[in-house]
Amino acid sequence: MLPDSSLIEIPSSKRKSETRFDDLALRREFSANVVGFCRWLRQQGSNVSAPEQMDALKALDAIDLLEEEDFYWSLRTTLAKSNREQEIFDEHFRRFWYVWDKADQLSFRDEEETEAPTVIIDDRPRKQKHLTINDWLNNADQASEEQEAAGYSPFEVVTERDFSDFFAQDLDEVARLINEIGKSLAVRFSRRTKASRQRGPLDLRRTMRSSLRRGGELLDLAHRERKRQKLKLVLLCDVSKSMDLYSRFLIQFLYAFQSVYRRIETFVFSTSLHRVTEILQTEDLEEALNLMSVTVPDWSGGTKIGESFGEFVEQYALSLLDPGTVVLIISDGWDTGDVDLLGESMRIMKSRSRSVIWLNPLMGNPDYRPSTQGMQAALPYIDILASAHNLSSLRRLVRQLAKVQRGRQLRIDMTPRYGTLSVRSDMLL
Amino acid sequence: MQQEQLQRLQQLLGEQDYIADRSIVMSVYLAMTLRKPLLIEGPAGVGKTEIAKVMARALDTDLIRLQCYEGLDANMALYEWNYQRQLLHLKLDENSTRSLEDREASIFGEQFLLKRPLLQALTHPKAPVLLIDELDRADEEFEAFLLEILSEWQITIPEIGSIRAEEPPYVILTGNRTRELSDAVRRRCFYLWIDYPPYEKELSIVRNKVPDVDAELAGQMCRFMELVRQQKLEKIPGVAETLDWARALAVLHQDHLEPSMVEETLGLIFKDRNDVRLVRESLTDFLGRLGIQAKEMKTAEESPTAAN
Repeated sequence: MLPDSSLIEIPSSKRKSETRFDDLALRREFSANVVGFCRWLRQQGSNVSAPEQMDALKALDAIDLLEEEDFYWSLRTTLAKSNREQEIFDEHFRRFWYVWDKADQLSFRDEEETEAPTVIIDDRPRKQKHLTINDWLNNADQASEEQEAAGYSPFEVVTERDFSDFFAQDLDEVARLINEIGKSLAVRFSRRTKASRQRGPLDLRRTMRSSLRRGGELLDLAHRERKRQKLKLVLLCDVSKSMDLYSRFLIQFLYAFQSVYRRIETFVFSTSLHRVTEILQTEDLEEALNLMSVTVPDWSGGTKIGESFGEFVEQYALSLLDPGTVVLIISDGWDTGDVDLLGESMRIMKSRSRSVIWLNPLMGNPDYRPSTQGMQAALPYIDILASAHNLSSLRRLVRQLAKVQRGRQLRIDMTPRYGTLSVRSDMLL
Repeated sequence: MQQEQLQRLQQLLGEQDYIADRSIVMSVYLAMTLRKPLLIEGPAGVGKTEIAKVMARALDTDLIRLQCYEGLDANMALYEWNYQRQLLHLKLDENSTRSLEDREASIFGEQFLLKRPLLQALTHPKAPVLLIDELDRADEEFEAFLLEILSEWQITIPEIGSIRAEEPPYVILTGNRTRELSDAVRRRCFYLWIDYPPYEKELSIVRNKVPDVDAELAGQMCRFMELVRQQKLEKIPGVAETLDWARALAVLHQDHLEPSMVEETLGLIFKDRNDVRLVRESLTDFLGRLGIQAKEMKTAEESPTAAN
């Protein structure tokens, strides 16, 4: 099953001291076992590719195979390419190669195969269906019949209406609108950032080139255009019961213009944190959101913002946050968890990112004041606190994001329209 | 041959006083032998850069270093023209009757080329060790560009033509994980993760590097470092900080960790204001956990040692 070139040639120097690998059949068996191990790692979620498999075989050719420790480190350095993969490797190395401990021969593949491949059973409790978004999705067929009769509000009215006020049958239409608005804003967004370009440092290369045409006289100075770095977004979406709908629309909205961003990382949280970036990338967005709400445990459960953010800071802050990243949180701030942890996590997020935006749909209500304990703990670290309860507030959000992109001082928008606030945190304290 | 090389590597790494783990020896040895780039990740201050130096010594060749930073682009890493010299040359040549094309050709010759690290590595007479330091600080575009270089070892300068490495350099890439490197980069490299050294290892490093330090003090210091590294800090101190601290305390003729002295020297270990504050607040607790009593207790107990 293997091309002969991948067989390990044991250098002759080792042969005199050791007869174990003299046998061609055994050598072939050994290579096959390495290949088997690679496949096994792949099944465990490690991303081992074919060239790496070759690397591993070549590496084993370059070491003394009788040194067990060297054997281990060689396979590890060639096959496990991240912390996570090293964990997988360590977990399975002994299991796969355990004959090193007890047997004096290398032919153990059959024995291993009968035992090794375990089917991983996902026995996490499946969430019961809940009201809100799932109902809408699952009842889509019934709803569509009524839709024509019900009709939907004219555009202007739609954009001002709180998402939670829509009837289930209108939500399809809202989703479509969100997508459209998102896309059209994306175009404007990129134009905006282009127009605000500044002159960069001198481009000596081009200056020289143009001066040559004039016999080396420097007349025109060419400038290098300052490279504008696309922003990265990290979304932390509250999917507890009260927030499910808003989060869903926000995700949909932001993904409509994801090309504007270098990268969007998405997390959902309620009592714990879940990274959903991959699900959102691989599937049709609609499908993905549907799938997500079923598979993510405690979707639409209670809220422990502190614990969820703490987990984010611990696991992801280092790799995902940098001065080119905007953290966007959507939550109503109703927290039943650790408030101190929430504040501390917010502080770290703030110190590691470009800016922190908190979207709170309750802000749609003009009388709302962010007085819950959770909001109070988070406020000192929020750059922009805004609502995201209807389409026009989402549109205003894009404007704010464009400003952050241009690196301008965040402007305080003190003229709330449609009853929405968009103010900096210290204005509220 | 193979064993000799391994032993030499082990010895060279040992001399660096950092870490001579078998895992490190094997990774470096394999990267050298199979000519594969080696990606080293781990927290700051564990000696990732030193490994490149060791590799260069083991191979008896030069080390060329490319320090990455935000905004680094292909031009800055590859080559630049020496514009001042070009201008001067044109000025001197002003009255010649040569044609424009001739003159243009003359100033884009190799003598006007400033080689940046990548081109240097490519054209080095003997395959050097190329250290690409803190790749995670550069952006994804640069990473993609680098991947291309790493696979082709050939670049094209429009004015000169293609330049190809006779012998590709040995490459070491390092990262602090401020940003996740792409899978494409990982797959192409051998991988080594270096963590903070465990207590015993750090202790032996300290005793090696700072011979004047008191044995008991060194032990307490390393335990202290072990403990603070488990705290949630902005910048977790590395081995370099332990060594700085050890040197300072040795100069001050300390033979054990004295709470007040620890408090005064926290600035040597922690480089972030919040970290200093955090550690100062829970210092009594930390020292208590290490079996170092509070001040009053200590002074009473201290008198016999002072008498000695």
